[in-house]
Amino acid sequence: MFTESWQSVGPSLDECIKCNICTAYCPVAAVTDRFPGPKYAGPQAQRFRENGQPHAPDRSVDYCSGCRVCNEVCPTGVKIAELNARARAQMVAEQGIPLRNRLLGRNELLGKLGSLAPRLANLGLHNHVSRVMAEKVVGIAREAPLPRFSEEGTFGSWMKRTAGERLRSDRKVVYFHGCATMYYEPFVGKATVVVLEHLGYEVIVPPQNCCGLPLLSNGEFGAARRYHEGNLHKLVPYAQQGYEIVGSSTSCTLTLKEEAPELLDMFDEESEELKLAVWDVFEWLRERYRQGELPTDFKPLPMVLPYHPPCQYRAHRVGRPAAELLALIPGLDVRVSTARCCGIAGTYGYKREKYQIGMDVGAELFEFVREQGREVRMTACDSETCRWQLEHGTGLPSRHPIEVLAAAYGLYDLERREPRGV
Amino acid sequence: MREIPDLLVIGAGLSGLMAAYEAAEAGLRVKVIAKGLGSMHWSAGTVDVLGYAAGDKAVSMPLQELEGLQAVAPHHPYVVAGAEAVTEALSRFVALAKELGLPYEGAEEPGRNLWLPSPVGAARPVYLAPQGQRYGDLALAEPIVVVGFEGLRDFYPWVIAENLRKQGHRARGTVLPFALLSERRDANTVQLAQELDELKRVVTLARALKEVVEPGERVGLPALVGLDRHGRAMEVLQEELGTRVFEIPTLPPSVPGMRLYRALRSDLEGRGVEVEIGMEAVGYEAKEENGGFRRLLWVETATSARPLKHRARAFLLATGGLLGGGFDSNHEGRVWERVFDLPLAMPQNREDWFRPKFLDPAGHPVFQGGVSVDREFRPVSPEGKRLFANLWAAGNGLRDCDGIRERSREGIAIVTGIAAARSILVALRREKHVH
Repeated sequence: MFTESWQSVGPSLDECIKCNICTAYCPVAAVTDRFPGPKYAGPQAQRFRENGQPHAPDRSVDYCSGCRVCNEVCPTGVKIAELNARARAQMVAEQGIPLRNRLLGRNELLGKLGSLAPRLANLGLHNHVSRVMAEKVVGIAREAPLPRFSEEGTFGSWMKRTAGERLRSDRKVVYFHGCATMYYEPFVGKATVVVLEHLGYEVIVPPQNCCGLPLLSNGEFGAARRYHEGNLHKLVPYAQQGYEIVGSSTSCTLTLKEEAPELLDMFDEESEELKLAVWDVFEWLRERYRQGELPTDFKPLPMVLPYHPPCQYRAHRVGRPAAELLALIPGLDVRVSTARCCGIAGTYGYKREKYQIGMDVGAELFEFVREQGREVRMTACDSETCRWQLEHGTGLPSRHPIEVLAAAYGLYDLERREPRGV
Repeated sequence: MREIPDLLVIGAGLSGLMAAYEAAEAGLRVKVIAKGLGSMHWSAGTVDVLGYAAGDKAVSMPLQELEGLQAVAPHHPYVVAGAEAVTEALSRFVALAKELGLPYEGAEEPGRNLWLPSPVGAARPVYLAPQGQRYGDLALAEPIVVVGFEGLRDFYPWVIAENLRKQGHRARGTVLPFALLSERRDANTVQLAQELDELKRVVTLARALKEVVEPGERVGLPALVGLDRHGRAMEVLQEELGTRVFEIPTLPPSVPGMRLYRALRSDLEGRGVEVEIGMEAVGYEAKEENGGFRRLLWVETATSARPLKHRARAFLLATGGLLGGGFDSNHEGRVWERVFDLPLAMPQNREDWFRPKFLDPAGHPVFQGGVSVDREFRPVSPEGKRLFANLWAAGNGLRDCDGIRERSREGIAIVTGIAAARSILVALRREKHVH
């Protein structure tokens, strides 16, 4: 069960002055009647959800994608997206959770299972019959861009296999890879490791749990709490020794820093220690750059690269660090998108009833990519599900900016997605 | 190493953006940060310079009123800037707006206020109106038909018409089907304005309007006639109808205010100015300098974990007052400026915040207090001593103005934004940071 306390998120409700700026900018309300807009589903409906009220006033809050455009544009600082996330948890507590959302919330478990026999799992999942079945039985949209399990082993197995080649150094940094890197896209982890090593850091990869975000966005707060506690147990000792913890998934780093403690009311000392130790990888690299510690021995990377800063950067409130650093690469023409959201919003766009909404929301991003011309060969985005949605919506491959940076250092093959031998 | 900006503007309302424009045009490297989107989204998109003075006296020639202002409110931002700077800043805005493709106009008689219908049909004194609102001028003789849409919240044509009639104007209200604007079940004015960015829809609307407009009438529509293609939509409507069409602002979100915001922001970004929203300034670092000044090194904004530092050579505080979010208050009666905790000329006793009557023509002290600045728009202590070597302030957070009651919000924003930017330019040139 989630707690009934509304510390920090709740009081922000009273700051709402009903100006409707959030509704004017909400990308979901712009494309569907099913979501009336953040002001209505959030602060307004919240008055009917406060302690002691019999039940939530309606279910439209389920159509909030959690992109946090509303939080960003709100002139008075109402935590609208968090109010909505809590409202979903309340709905789950009252009405139970569909099997589909249980599945989508369990990245780590799915990853572990799929990785036992990735080829078989991919065969089983990625065929027309299973996708139609999955849509009919559990409600996962058949067209939605499900990832493939890595068939070259997990990121963890690569770390073990290459242990002898890894850099040893007095300067150390802890790496939080997240589930997607572990099971689906180990190459993102490899790119991160080779870049961190290029800066002279030894990379420590401790055991870790899923950050819990998929559970939080599906309203399963109890299970999310167990993951967060697991991460506190596994990671705080590093924070206490003064190590910085760097993550390549913007959503995982956001959850570790802020979302989990805030939504779960975990304002304990350990959560605070973890929060202050965690960095998004580009936030951390930008800091190295500002300190004059980032090598700039970039090789030219002549191409036009549409880059979409994911919604989680909006929530991190750190600006667009990846765009800043990619701009240093000679020859690379980075075109930064101002599209509000790609539409997938984590697990949102996978749901049968929300798939089309997600695609309609993403239309402005797909259009932006098309406008950059025919010579565009790939796009970039820091967040995994956004990359999959970008690929689905544009037909072009998408890369994590850390892969692009690794390639510019000459350490990584951007086409084949693997580190180059040194 | 990354080059730090010459100027960091805190606040993305009209004053902050005008200052950023002025500074960027002069060649400074400028960055704008703001907690959320500015109060332009709440405004009618007009430029109100001075509608009421000395309590509730209606002003017809705002610029002629400035001299009198000096006697009653010596710290009023217009007085600090000086009459010449006021006139010049407003002309500068007119030129810029034209360049942005959003022309603004005043009354036929230069210097006179227009009186335009408000969302409830009251008469609002406006100095410069966007072209789309210009023909709502209540000094014009043609009768008005106010056309609303069934089911559109926050726009009630009959209320507007009735209130206009009570003030002696010829006006009537009517409605058209919502489906003319959108297939949606429900939509707000911004979404509807985007629908009218499509030419086909404008033509359909024009046809429907023809059925309800009587010869000789001018047409008042809710302010949703296009967001990015507003000019074209208005032209098509006027051409098809052969009569004057004007917009009446709606409750927020206000499309005319958003048009101005979007045009200004995109112009700034085109000049290389970075505008970052979602950045709440929560602290700063300063060092002591010779002469007792403190020099700001950076301003900190809140992130998901540690504060983010924004370094710059000069800093402009343009976060507004109580409404804009620049000030906060508590139940003990304290009112403070949020970023630098600048001293406020403001009653620090809750009993003295308000006068007993809600609609007192003299207004309420808590809305009139604010940051004290010197002639260069640099914040000063109650004794008049400059507080930081490189901090300026502009906008409706300045003391001794009352933007809503005076109907001077945009005028103050434009005049002080430009004046502060000019002062910054002079100072940075003196320091030889900019050549």
